[in-house]
Amino acid sequence: MSKNRKPVPSYREDTENTDLARRNFFKKMGLVAATGTVATIGAGKVISKQAWGGATFEDALGDFFQDHYVRMTDDEMVDALARIERKARRKFGVEIICEDTRPIPGTYFGYALNISKCRGYRDCVTACVKENNLGRDSQVQYIRVLELNEGDRNLEHSDHYYNPETVPTEGKWYLPVQCFQCDNPPCVTACPVEATWMDDDGIVVIDYNWCIGCRMCMAACPYWARHFNWTEPQIPAQELNPNTDYIGNRPRMKGVVEKCHFCSQRTRKGRQPACMEACPTGARVLGNLLDPSSDIRYILENKKIFRLKEELGTEPKFWYYTDEARARS
Amino acid sequence: MPLAALAGDDPFWLPSDKGRGLAPQVAADRFVTAPSGAPEPEFSRYDNRLPPRVPPREDQLIFYPCSQCHEFWKTNPEPRELAPVHNVGLQHGQGRLWCLVCHDQENSDKLQILRSGQVDFNESWRVCGQCHSARQKDWYYGAHGKRVYDWQGEPERYNCTHCHNPHRPPLIQRKPQPVPPVRAGLEPMQVYFSQQRLAVLEKKQAQPVENPAHE
Repeated sequence: MSKNRKPVPSYREDTENTDLARRNFFKKMGLVAATGTVATIGAGKVISKQAWGGATFEDALGDFFQDHYVRMTDDEMVDALARIERKARRKFGVEIICEDTRPIPGTYFGYALNISKCRGYRDCVTACVKENNLGRDSQVQYIRVLELNEGDRNLEHSDHYYNPETVPTEGKWYLPVQCFQCDNPPCVTACPVEATWMDDDGIVVIDYNWCIGCRMCMAACPYWARHFNWTEPQIPAQELNPNTDYIGNRPRMKGVVEKCHFCSQRTRKGRQPACMEACPTGARVLGNLLDPSSDIRYILENKKIFRLKEELGTEPKFWYYTDEARARS
Repeated sequence: MPLAALAGDDPFWLPSDKGRGLAPQVAADRFVTAPSGAPEPEFSRYDNRLPPRVPPREDQLIFYPCSQCHEFWKTNPEPRELAPVHNVGLQHGQGRLWCLVCHDQENSDKLQILRSGQVDFNESWRVCGQCHSARQKDWYYGAHGKRVYDWQGEPERYNCTHCHNPHRPPLIQRKPQPVPPVRAGLEPMQVYFSQQRLAVLEKKQAQPVENPAHE
């Protein structure tokens, strides 16, 4: 066994070091709290580059005492965003902008995907990985494009590792799946610490800082939409997307769950999500369910539509439709 | 670039003079009418909705404006095999179509609608919709075609000819993006009872069972 073992990748050593530093930090924290001198040390200086989990003492302390997203005051949020930016600068050497984007009033997001038009190019997958700062080595991908045989809708027969010379393959059809932003989300019910919740515009979001990494939400999700960071996500610094969002695509840490958030950093500013923008066939449509003149409302009212595992009562806000018109009763 | 023009500093969700808010605002220049002199096209709109804006395409056409040659060479209306430089390899309509079904003979910089007159190359969706009316309606309302930049407000959609070559409309197959990595420590997801798997199983069952004990 031992002779077949692969060499340990370099990032492992780094994470082990930071882990050790983190553990030491908590030990010291206990002592400090016991003597009641937190306030005096709170204004401490940089101790070393690798200490405090790769952060300054001040930032580590700030992270530790950071409150839940919905309870943070505006000042605390400003501090938290600044900490995230500083952390990214230290880790990647890149200046990022982290914002706290809020839902647009009067918006409730829904997504429609035309399975008659999806040709299995997987352009949405690569665009998503780049936009959302997904770890390149951690094998987390929000979108999976399933390939199924024609006439088959059994997901157990699907394959998302297809790799022919050209797509679409004769006799196959393609079904991209991702987080469906359920209206009755089982993941939110399962979370023991309320680190995930549904925002006012219908997007199910995660406070990565509040997540304890128990993975109960992953067990609850019937769509395999949530992913756990088993390692520190490794992103090439030059490919880091600098436009980030607190509950969206900011660089994640090891040990938290993440998932598709309809590119909240883009859609809440009116832009299309990265998958929709990248789709060359225009099969993907994001829209406001409350706007009767929106594209998605026309699709839902006039096209043949279905949702995945509808019988579970999760009420996904993600519809698949075909080119065929809906039968009128 | 129209995209750069849309990315202003103003909060996009507030109604603005750019005409892209939740409250539908209609810019005066949205609806491009037929060129002066020509009768208005037969089809104008569905349900009092203006057609989507379309990114201009005339500047992306290689030979455009066509009149730079056809000013001097009179258009020959006779259906025939075209010279190589101009042969677009028409494979549309199974031999029923000829250049002048869509292109205007008098003004070579325009397309024509059979019933009512000339339209710009930028409005080629009106030409396509003469036969593909169901697709055109889907495109008009957002169930077909690709939207530009944003997801709300008055739509801007790519024209039919942006994706489909009007002379050879079917899309070309191409290589997919790389395969997703397999999670560390896991085998690739097994495909249960797929066609290939069934074929392998049947092949195994068809093979005679070898029994070395009888040798």
